[in-house]
Amino acid sequence: MTLAIRARNLVKEYDDVRALDGLDISVEAGEFFGLLGPNGAGKTTFINILVGLAHRTDGEAAVFGHDVEAEYQQARDAIGLAPQEYNVDRFFPIQEVLEHKAGYHGIPSGEATRRAEEALKTVGIYEKRDTRFDWLSGGMKRRFMLARALVSDPDLLILDEPTAGVDVQLRRDLWDVINRMNDAGTTILLTTHYIEEAERLCDRVAIMDEGCKVEEASPDELMDRGTDRITVSMGSTPATAPELNLSDVHDARIEDSDLVVTAARGSSVVPDLLRQLEAMGYTVTEVDIERASLEEVFVDMTRTGSAVEA
Amino acid sequence: MNGDDEVGVASDGGNAATEGATTATASPGLLDRLLPTGFRTLFHREVLRFVRRPRNTFLPPAITNVLYFSVFGVILGGRIDSFVLDGREIEYIAFILPGLIVLGAISNAFENSSFSIFHGRWNEYIHEVLTSPLPYTSMVLAYILSSALRGLVVGIIIGLIGLLFTSVPVARPLYLVAFMLVICLLFASFGVVGGLWARDFDYLTVLNQFILRPLVFFGGVFYSLDALEGIAYTVSLFNPMVYMVNGVRYGFFGAAELPPNESLAVLSVLTLAVVALDVELFRRGYGLVD
Repeated sequence: MTLAIRARNLVKEYDDVRALDGLDISVEAGEFFGLLGPNGAGKTTFINILVGLAHRTDGEAAVFGHDVEAEYQQARDAIGLAPQEYNVDRFFPIQEVLEHKAGYHGIPSGEATRRAEEALKTVGIYEKRDTRFDWLSGGMKRRFMLARALVSDPDLLILDEPTAGVDVQLRRDLWDVINRMNDAGTTILLTTHYIEEAERLCDRVAIMDEGCKVEEASPDELMDRGTDRITVSMGSTPATAPELNLSDVHDARIEDSDLVVTAARGSSVVPDLLRQLEAMGYTVTEVDIERASLEEVFVDMTRTGSAVEA
Repeated sequence: MNGDDEVGVASDGGNAATEGATTATASPGLLDRLLPTGFRTLFHREVLRFVRRPRNTFLPPAITNVLYFSVFGVILGGRIDSFVLDGREIEYIAFILPGLIVLGAISNAFENSSFSIFHGRWNEYIHEVLTSPLPYTSMVLAYILSSALRGLVVGIIIGLIGLLFTSVPVARPLYLVAFMLVICLLFASFGVVGGLWARDFDYLTVLNQFILRPLVFFGGVFYSLDALEGIAYTVSLFNPMVYMVNGVRYGFFGAAELPPNESLAVLSVLTLAVVALDVELFRRGYGLVD
């Protein structure tokens, strides 16, 4: 399988700060890959190295097999970037900005105009095509950032917090666009602090902290490592939680006349749990499993005493 | 690195490059080979930026030079004797015209590239260019050539304004064109360095007001080198502006105080050196990337 992104032992130092500390990440072509991490984890630094806005100190980074510095033209031609910060040319109406961006990618004038119009229609701001960026609303600005990333029809779409600060409806609209791109074969690298976004969209997720990759797995696999909450209603509620002999159970207690059990891989624990309770003479009337969220797993993995994004 | 060839649309980028784009990539015409689409786009963008704002770009030098010609040429110039250049008598207002053209042209060439790059850095929209597959040489040349074009246009405007006040011959048109091209390219190239070096808008003001203008004013715009004696004359020979003004003056009058061919050669070499420096600074990401 072709790798859309390959980073090996990637290091980036700013004076005495080590922003990336031997980062290893591989993203397969066509994959929807999420990058999570607290502020300062190195996510944006990693993206900047890929697109040419930062020089690596050491290590390797390649996009579709092209080294991001030695073969920067090929690497950058494959990338569409929607950065977190607004960095848009304020001198021109937004359609012209898109035409320029397409032109930089070698797309001839007439075709650039067609693609710019198509990109604006895709994100739903075509009627604002003659407006300058500064005059767009906050939501429209976010839509435009996505349009600019799409206009060169990239093989790799890098989205750095693409839905930061937008309302729920717009977020879902943007998800639809991004999902369609991914369905059409575009590789997506997404950083987000909306864990729900990563759960819903990503095939795989890497969690970064202090310049390193802490974990990498599918959202489901990561959630399996979290602690599920199993609520058991019984015919007669004991005064204290029964002694359970199950290896994955972390805790059991009585809450509001229900037995609440916290355990890893809750769904696989439940059959044994029910058998033990019945063996103890309890009658179970209802069982509810509340899965751990990716957010909880993320917070656990990156807990350093400092504030985290999620 | 892939040399300075621009990457074709269909080579890597684009899941489904359109037929038109693919065709253009498959068999690029002479224009595409000489001036690839990416370069033309950035050049076009840069030209549009100053053409669409004539009140900011062309009107100020026009007004300033109407004042120069009125005050220095007509009011004061009427009281100053004619200059003799290579045995030819030239009235003062005609004598200062080449220098004013140089002053306007290089100021605008410098200002255009330095402002465009610095403003792009300040607001980070230069990232649109930096994250694109444009080769560094194309980026630099687009900024330089567009800025030199602005300098030339301003030079022509000043020349036309001068014709309202006096008449001047164009004795050596090829020299005039060559000198104007070289000095506009040189200062557009210096502007790139300035735009990359600046950390604040004040830096650009410092470059323009405290370095560029004094050099121009002491470069023989308003006086003949013959008016200087001893150390003042010697020091003036270290001012590159002297050779620029002298060269453009040679283009107009066919007479000069310094040999024009040597001046043109030195300025051309200097221009190539600064362009090479610009490309290297872009390649290293000086002032552009972390």
